[in-house]
Amino acid sequence: MVGKIKVLLSKLGLDVHNRGLITVARQLRNAGMEVIYIGNALPKEIISAAIQEYVDVVGVSSLGGAHITLGTPLIEQAKREGVKDKVVFLMGGVFPPEDNVILKEIGFDEVFTPGATRDEIVSSIKKLVSSKKRS
Amino acid sequence: MKKTTKDILHEKLSSRKRMPLYNPEALQTLRQRFEHWMNSTVREKDREHWMKTPRTVLGSDIPREMLYTPLSNPDLDYQEDLGNSGQEPFARGIHANMYRGREFTMRQLTGFGSPEDTNERIKFMLDHGATGLNVLFDIPTIQMYDSDDPLSAGQVGMSGVCVDSIEDMALIFKDIPLDKVTVSIVTHYPSNTAILFPMFLVLAEERGIPWDKLQGSVQNDITLEELIRSGPEYMPPRDCFRIQCDNIEFIRRNVPQWNFITLNGYNLREFGTSGVTEIAVAVANGIETMEEMVRRGHNADSIANRLAFFWSPASDFFEEVARIRGVRRLWYKIMKYRFNAKDPRAMWMRCHVQTSGVSLIQQEPLNNIIRSAYHALAAIFGGVQSLHVDSFDEAYSVPTEEAALLSLRTQQIIQEEIGVTDVVDPLGGSFYVEALTNDIEQRILDEVDEIERAGGYVAAIENGELHKKIATYFSNQQREIEDGEIKVVAYNIYKSDIEPPPINVFRYPEGVEERQKARIGKLRLDRDNGKVSRALTGLKEACGKRKNIFPYTIECARARCTEGELFKVFKEVFGLWKPPALW
Repeated sequence: MVGKIKVLLSKLGLDVHNRGLITVARQLRNAGMEVIYIGNALPKEIISAAIQEYVDVVGVSSLGGAHITLGTPLIEQAKREGVKDKVVFLMGGVFPPEDNVILKEIGFDEVFTPGATRDEIVSSIKKLVSSKKRS
Repeated sequence: MKKTTKDILHEKLSSRKRMPLYNPEALQTLRQRFEHWMNSTVREKDREHWMKTPRTVLGSDIPREMLYTPLSNPDLDYQEDLGNSGQEPFARGIHANMYRGREFTMRQLTGFGSPEDTNERIKFMLDHGATGLNVLFDIPTIQMYDSDDPLSAGQVGMSGVCVDSIEDMALIFKDIPLDKVTVSIVTHYPSNTAILFPMFLVLAEERGIPWDKLQGSVQNDITLEELIRSGPEYMPPRDCFRIQCDNIEFIRRNVPQWNFITLNGYNLREFGTSGVTEIAVAVANGIETMEEMVRRGHNADSIANRLAFFWSPASDFFEEVARIRGVRRLWYKIMKYRFNAKDPRAMWMRCHVQTSGVSLIQQEPLNNIIRSAYHALAAIFGGVQSLHVDSFDEAYSVPTEEAALLSLRTQQIIQEEIGVTDVVDPLGGSFYVEALTNDIEQRILDEVDEIERAGGYVAAIENGELHKKIATYFSNQQREIEDGEIKVVAYNIYKSDIEPPPINVFRYPEGVEERQKARIGKLRLDRDNGKVSRALTGLKEACGKRKNIFPYTIECARARCTEGELFKVFKEVFGLWKPPALW
C-alpha cells in the first residue's frame, strides 16, 4: 500500500497543446493524488522541481513532435541528479507508434497516447509507484 | 448597464412586421392530424422519448425531435428569416450563385521542417490542384522564440515551419508568385502577427509587388493567445487586444485586400468546447473588436467588410450545417442593427473551416478518412468559403505527403464528383435544419449575452470565467467518451482485436535545428546591427506611447530583426500576465 501519491505534471518545452495534460491533472486529483502542475518547462527545471517537491511521479506531455528530442535530456538529467530510479517517469502525447518503444528504451516507465483512459493511467501510476518503492 | 447586443437586436427586430408563410388554417388542421398521428401511429416509447439529445464529440447537446414538421417552425417568414442566397439575411449563403460562381478554396495547411522543406510541400500541393496556401509555423515561431533560444531546443521545425527573420519567409515563398495566390499565414496570435506579417509584407516590397495586390489572411486573434494555448509567458489580455487592433488598423489602411483578422473559433473548439460556445466566443470578440475600431474613428463598414471567421466542423452533422447557417444570419443582424453597416459585404460572415482534428483517433486510423469527409461535407452544406480537410494520420504526427494528398482529393471529390455544389444551400427549407438553425442562433446569442453581461470579451478572459467554462466542458467530454456515453467507433464500441495494417507515419527531416541555428547566427553577423537596434528602440517607444506599433514592426522586418528580439521588447514594455489555473 502506498500513501498519497505526489505527481508533478509539465508541458515539455514550448508545446502549446495543454488540454490533455489538464484533463489528466484533474483525473489524478479526483483519484486522490496530490498534483503539482508547473505549466511549460524545460527538462532541467522539471527535474529540479521534482526534487524540490519530493514527488513520486513526473508526467510530461508533448504533442508538438519534441517527445524524443526533449524526452531524452529529461531522463538524462534525472539520471545525473540521481532520481531516475526513485521517481516514475511518464510521457503522454501524440507520436508515431514506434516511438512508444523508443521512449521506453530512453527510460520512460510508461507512455500514454490519445485514447488512454483515466483508469489505465491511474492504475498504471499506482503499480509503478509501488514497484519503484520496493526496488 | 449598457445595452447588450441581445437587447439591441430584440429592440430593433421585434417590431418588424412578419409575413408567416404558412396559412393559419392549414397549420390548425396539420396540428390536429399531427396529434392524431402521435397518438395512433407513434409507439408509446417513442412518444415518451420524443426529444433525443445526440451525444457527439464536441457536440452542443441540443435536444432533437423525432420528426420535424411545419409545426416545428410555424412562424417561418421566408423573406425575413431566410431570403434568397446573396440576399439579406444571408442565411442561405453570401453569394447568389455560391459554388457555381466560386468554388470553395482548397487550402490545406502546410508547414514542417525548414523553410525549404515547406516550400517543396507547398509546390507539391499547388501542382496537385490546391487553390490556396495555408502556412503553419513551428512551435518556437508561434511562441515567438528564435531557433537558437535555449527554450526552442529540440522543437525547431516541428509541427510547423521555423521562421526567425524575413530571410526564412523568403525561402518559404521562393518561386511562389505572391500576387497570384491567396495566402493564409497562420500567425496565431496578435503579437506574432505583428512580428511575422511584416516579414511577408517586406518580402513583397523587396520583390517589387505592391501591397494592394496581396490577397490572403492572418489569424491575429486574442482568443488563441490568451484563452487557449499553453506557454511559459503570456502578455496581458488588454495589451494583446490592443495589438490585435493595431494590426487591423495598419493592414486595413495599407493592404486593402487582406483579411486582417480571422475570428478564431476553431482552436477553441478543438481545445474542447461545444459548437455553440465556439461561435459565441468568436462573435463576442468580433463585437468588441468592431467597437474598438469604431472608437478609434474607423467606419464600421470599412472594417467589417474584411472580417473573416474560422470554424471547426465536428461530428454532429446537422448541428454543423445549422450553426454555420445560424451564425451567418446572426452576424448579419449584428452588423446591420448594432453597427449600422450599409455595405452588404460588411454583413457577410465569410469563413474558412478546418475539419475537427481532435475527433480523429489512433485506433484503426483509416476510419478517420470517413470522419473528416463527413465533417467537410457538413461545412459545404453550411456554405463555407474555404476548406482544409484533416489527414487520417494526424492522431500520430503531421501528415505525410500521401495523407495530405488524400485530404486534397477528399475536397476535389466533393467539388467535382458528387454534385453537391450545383445547388445553393441544398438543405435550406428542411423542417429540421431550419428549426435547428433557429435554435442554435438563439443559443449563440444567449452565450454572447452572458459574455457581454460579464463585462465583455476581454474582461471575461481576464477574470478566468471562460477558461473555467472550457476546462469543465472538455473534462466532462473526456469522462463521457471514456464511459461510452459518447460513442467512438473502434475506440469504445466495435472494438476489434485485429491489428490494423501499419500506416506510414511522417518523420521530421533531420538536421533542421542545426541548419537553422547556423543561419540565424550568420544573419546576426551579416546584418547592420546599428539599424537593428534603432528599429527595436523605435518599437519600444511606440509600444510605450500607445502609437500603432505596426509601422515599427515593419521597420524591424526591414532591418532583419529576429522574431525573438521583437518578443523581448513586448515583454519589457507590457510585462507578463498569469492566466488562471485550469485544473
